[in-house]
Amino acid sequence: MSPMQKNGPIALLFHTLVVIFMLAPLVVICLVAFTPENTLSIPTTSFSLRWFQAIFVHPDFVDSFVNSLWLATLAASISVALAVPAALAIDRYQFPGRDTLNALFLSPLIIPHLVLGVAFLRLFALIGATGSFAWLVATHVIVITPYVLRLVMAALSGLDRSAEQAALTLGASHWTVFRRVTAPMVLPGITGGWLLAFINSFDELTMSIFVTSPQTVTLPVRMYMYATESIDPMMAAVSALMIALTAAAMLVLDRAFGLDKILVGQK
Amino acid sequence: MVMGFLTLESLSKIYGDLAAVRDVDLSVAKGEFVSLLGPSGCGKTTTLQMIAGLVEPSKGRIMLDGRDITRLAPNKRGLGIVFQSYALFPHMTVAENVAFGLEMRNVPKSERAERVRTMLGLVHLGQLAERYPRQLSGGQRQRVAIARALVIQPPVLLLDEPLSNLDAKLREEMQFELRRIQQRVGTTTIMVTHDQAEALSISDRVVVMELGRMTQIDAPYRLYENPATPFISSFVGKMNRLDGIWRGAGASGHAEIAGVKLPSEAADLADGQAVALSIRPEKLLLRQVGQGRLDGTIVNRFFLGSYWLFTVETPVGVISVSVPNDGEEPASEGAKVALDWQPASLRVEPASARGDAA
Repeated sequence: MSPMQKNGPIALLFHTLVVIFMLAPLVVICLVAFTPENTLSIPTTSFSLRWFQAIFVHPDFVDSFVNSLWLATLAASISVALAVPAALAIDRYQFPGRDTLNALFLSPLIIPHLVLGVAFLRLFALIGATGSFAWLVATHVIVITPYVLRLVMAALSGLDRSAEQAALTLGASHWTVFRRVTAPMVLPGITGGWLLAFINSFDELTMSIFVTSPQTVTLPVRMYMYATESIDPMMAAVSALMIALTAAAMLVLDRAFGLDKILVGQK
Repeated sequence: MVMGFLTLESLSKIYGDLAAVRDVDLSVAKGEFVSLLGPSGCGKTTTLQMIAGLVEPSKGRIMLDGRDITRLAPNKRGLGIVFQSYALFPHMTVAENVAFGLEMRNVPKSERAERVRTMLGLVHLGQLAERYPRQLSGGQRQRVAIARALVIQPPVLLLDEPLSNLDAKLREEMQFELRRIQQRVGTTTIMVTHDQAEALSISDRVVVMELGRMTQIDAPYRLYENPATPFISSFVGKMNRLDGIWRGAGASGHAEIAGVKLPSEAADLADGQAVALSIRPEKLLLRQVGQGRLDGTIVNRFFLGSYWLFTVETPVGVISVSVPNDGEEPASEGAKVALDWQPASLRVEPASARGDAA
């Protein structure tokens, strides 16, 4: 842990403003979710759970939520399964095309999701994959893998290689070294990568609008479609639930490993 | 010499144009404690890693107990290694760390626990078996690393700068501790170090390496008293070095600098030959003016606890002298003194031995 420097009054003011700017919309939306009114308004006199109840009389929202959950879980897990060996290869070995491969894996970060969405829409129409859940998972894997790769690579670069050498000289096979030493030591990076990938997949809207079909509508797409037709506080209630879920996941992760360690890659 | 237990035969490692290690030949007897000593970049760690199997030799052979292990995978060699960073497994307890090698050898659980307990007892860590490495001090981690390497009863123990991460006081304690454990267990040990005091104090033999080559292999005392090269004489301990001329023919002559005669145990040198003179600070004695062989003035005086170190300005140059602290206040700065020495302590070599002349 590096020693903390004291902030001056101006720096403190600036930090406070940034935090307010980031958190205010979240706070407002959570408050609005509890309004008893029919319009988007901040409750002043009384609180109500009617808009939370309203979600459950919309079975399409519940279906989309379950769909999104499955999608994000599968996509994040597949990303981890792909990114861990890839990160190991890129971090540990020199081979022709290593830098190209690294750039290729990270390229989805710089391609706008809108472009990807249109491209996939066209591709799916060509190969007749429109409406396929498996192909939807594949598109999500592509856009979230860079996050997992980056975090796992950060964890690997901070790893003391001699621990692996020690295990090797103590008689462990290469697979045992990975299973017993390397994997546990980069576990925070893997977990953080999985979580970040999960959240990104769960939130993804721009590309998903193009590649989902009526059977595979994800929660963000459902919300978007609903909001274009009518604006009522149910949107705020759904948003509040998603914020709560994400916050809970972050909290669990922080307790288990420490968010600093996972996202910043500190030892 | 008897056939060594561990033998390196013209072992070399070449990276591109650079020979990190060149033709190292070394024979280590069973139970011996050998140090590889040299400055950083001299190839000592690469040599150790080749023995461990972590670096593949470009040339040469490694024989262990009559068996060629040059191409054997590191996990098949069964050697014990202590890394500079200790390389403990952070997610395992002390006991689990030590048990790891036994687990890999499928030692039954009850025997495993017994051997771990015995080994932790040997390194005085019996109380800390359930701690994690991050809860231990540097010295304790060091002991865990040693226990983990020794519990598999390796034929050879390899130590890579094992003490360099410890503070000075602890380092000294651990030196003796390391030697105690090694003698108790009797494991053949090779230690890499850049610290000459460490190498001299605990080794049976010291191998000095320079630029990838071995330049001298000797017992610590002989290495100190008879360094083979000027580099070794200055790297191992302190050394006063002066350039002079040999006067007189053969054994009856003496060395001379700026007209001052310096008596020495004679070497077989020609009259007028350029010579390099060297003498260790502790071989010089401070005397009253007129009672020594060379007069001078004390320029600086440093108190180092067990001894005093003086720098003395003399007609032949500035010379360091160390004097044991026997409780008496010694000569002060600016005082006129004389230096004396046993002629045998002043080494005289042809100047070409310095290596910079043709």
